Amino acid sequence: MTSVPLVSVFSADDSTKVTAKHIPLPAVFQTPIRPDIVSFVHTNIAKNRRQAHAVNPQAGMQHSAESWGTGRAVARIPRVSGSGTHRSGQAAFGNQCRKGRMSLPIKVWRRWHRRVNIKQKRHAAASAVAATGIVPLVLARGHRISQVPQIPLVVEDKIESYEKTTDALNFLKRFGAFEDVQKVVSTKVVRAGISKQRGKKYRVRKGPLVVYFNENAKLLKAFRNVPGVEVVNVTRLNLLQLAPGGQLGRFVIWTQSAFAHLDKLFGTYRYASVLKDGYQLLRPLLTNPDLARIINSNQVQEKVQPAKTTTVLHEVQKKNPLRNTKAMDRLNPYARKQRAAAIAAIKANTKGTKKIKKNKALKKASRAAFNKVSAALNDATNAAVQEEQDIKVKYFSVQKGAAQAE
Amino acid sequence: MSQQVLWEVVKGNNAFLVKRNGLTLSTDPFNNTGVQTYGNTGFISQNAVGVVPTSGKTNQINNINLVARKSTKFQQVDRKSKNTQSVYASTLAVKHGVHTASRVIRKRFGTSRLGLQKAALRKLVNLNRSNAVRRRNEVAAAKAQKK
Repeated sequence: MTSVPLVSVFSADDSTKVTAKHIPLPAVFQTPIRPDIVSFVHTNIAKNRRQAHAVNPQAGMQHSAESWGTGRAVARIPRVSGSGTHRSGQAAFGNQCRKGRMSLPIKVWRRWHRRVNIKQKRHAAASAVAATGIVPLVLARGHRISQVPQIPLVVEDKIESYEKTTDALNFLKRFGAFEDVQKVVSTKVVRAGISKQRGKKYRVRKGPLVVYFNENAKLLKAFRNVPGVEVVNVTRLNLLQLAPGGQLGRFVIWTQSAFAHLDKLFGTYRYASVLKDGYQLLRPLLTNPDLARIINSNQVQEKVQPAKTTTVLHEVQKKNPLRNTKAMDRLNPYARKQRAAAIAAIKANTKGTKKIKKNKALKKASRAAFNKVSAALNDATNAAVQEEQDIKVKYFSVQKGAAQAE
Repeated sequence: MSQQVLWEVVKGNNAFLVKRNGLTLSTDPFNNTGVQTYGNTGFISQNAVGVVPTSGKTNQINNINLVARKSTKFQQVDRKSKNTQSVYASTLAVKHGVHTASRVIRKRFGTSRLGLQKAALRKLVNLNRSNAVRRRNEVAAAKAQKK
């Protein structure tokens, strides 16, 4: 990056006013986004808050159960000794048994915590901080930032002295962060499952993260009661807060001094970190990952062959040689001779026969004959029809006469 | 930030992703087809345009907004612009007919991303049509009421 991106610091009272116009972006924000590292570190670090728990070691084993052995027409599982109760003779001890102990009962000495290499943890944190400065990632995480004036959002240190929650709320409203808080409030849901009886009644989303610097800051109390908002000191940035759920792109509000402290914390590409001993920011594999730009760059286009204008699938329109004589001749030069021979053979076969000429006289005669026949046919048909009608008339008149007579 | 890199981060999981019935869909406002694919996902690109129906009561005849994704060097809201601005988009209200809107879409995608251009235009047309139906019904209802 030859030109360093610049960021404005906003006045705490007025989101349109800028107190410091162009501050260079700390180098952390240029670190490569490494979801693989963040995901790995997150899954391991997330385990570190777990409290040991275990199953009662005696659970399911408080019987003097013994197997009845073979020959009794029952399964060989240990059975509860004694008599006088339903329980006697029932299966015991096995994981498959009712009231039996579980298989591989959980022990307190299960390895609950995971250690992660410091370097990995630092790279993950740096990557997560970088991701908070990239708008699409913050959007993808689901924060509502349409009213926010700038990402990354840097505000003057005045907010560190906020004591009242109303001040905090008004501040959030001024900077368009309240939409995110509203999202948190409206999506608060009673948790599914037993945990709600164990102190985790609600599932609440994450809202903005406010990062401050001065240890005596009072804003912790001011922001404490605002749903979804978390407050953290720069020196104690937590990956679990920067990338909740392993998902990059938390919406972060920085105070000016916190923002300035980032360079000392993580170092720059010129100087290693002051506070993280010997830590150097991760360098990207590609400084310019924009594929389109690379392809269209001068350096590449100079070396590249000119684009082919036409893609030729066939040289010439395909002609069917079975129907197209020229196409056939192209494929089989002997076809010409074959054809000629075939024609000659036909001619030879029909040499003696005369061609039947059309005889006009014959035609006339045949036509006359046809007309005669058809006329006769017509007459016959007509006569028959007439006869039929006569009979009909006679019949009905007879009927009528009969009716009249009656 | 490069669209390719962002895609690798975002493709597996993001706030707009909806997986249902074996389909991978997206509620991204900059996505005009609704299917999540690299090319369609507008919120990771620098020059996408979303055709969005407005919610709530507005004085617009058309309840359509054009949301144009913008890339600024430092991601700030441009206060001088007349359009509604956010860090990631500027909004154009489609007020009187779709000509300006379609011009904006065509200019954005120009000769390069014709598929996206078509998708945006198609959505614009369809929303406009549904608005016409709605307006027709409203007018008819108003007339009926007058009587």
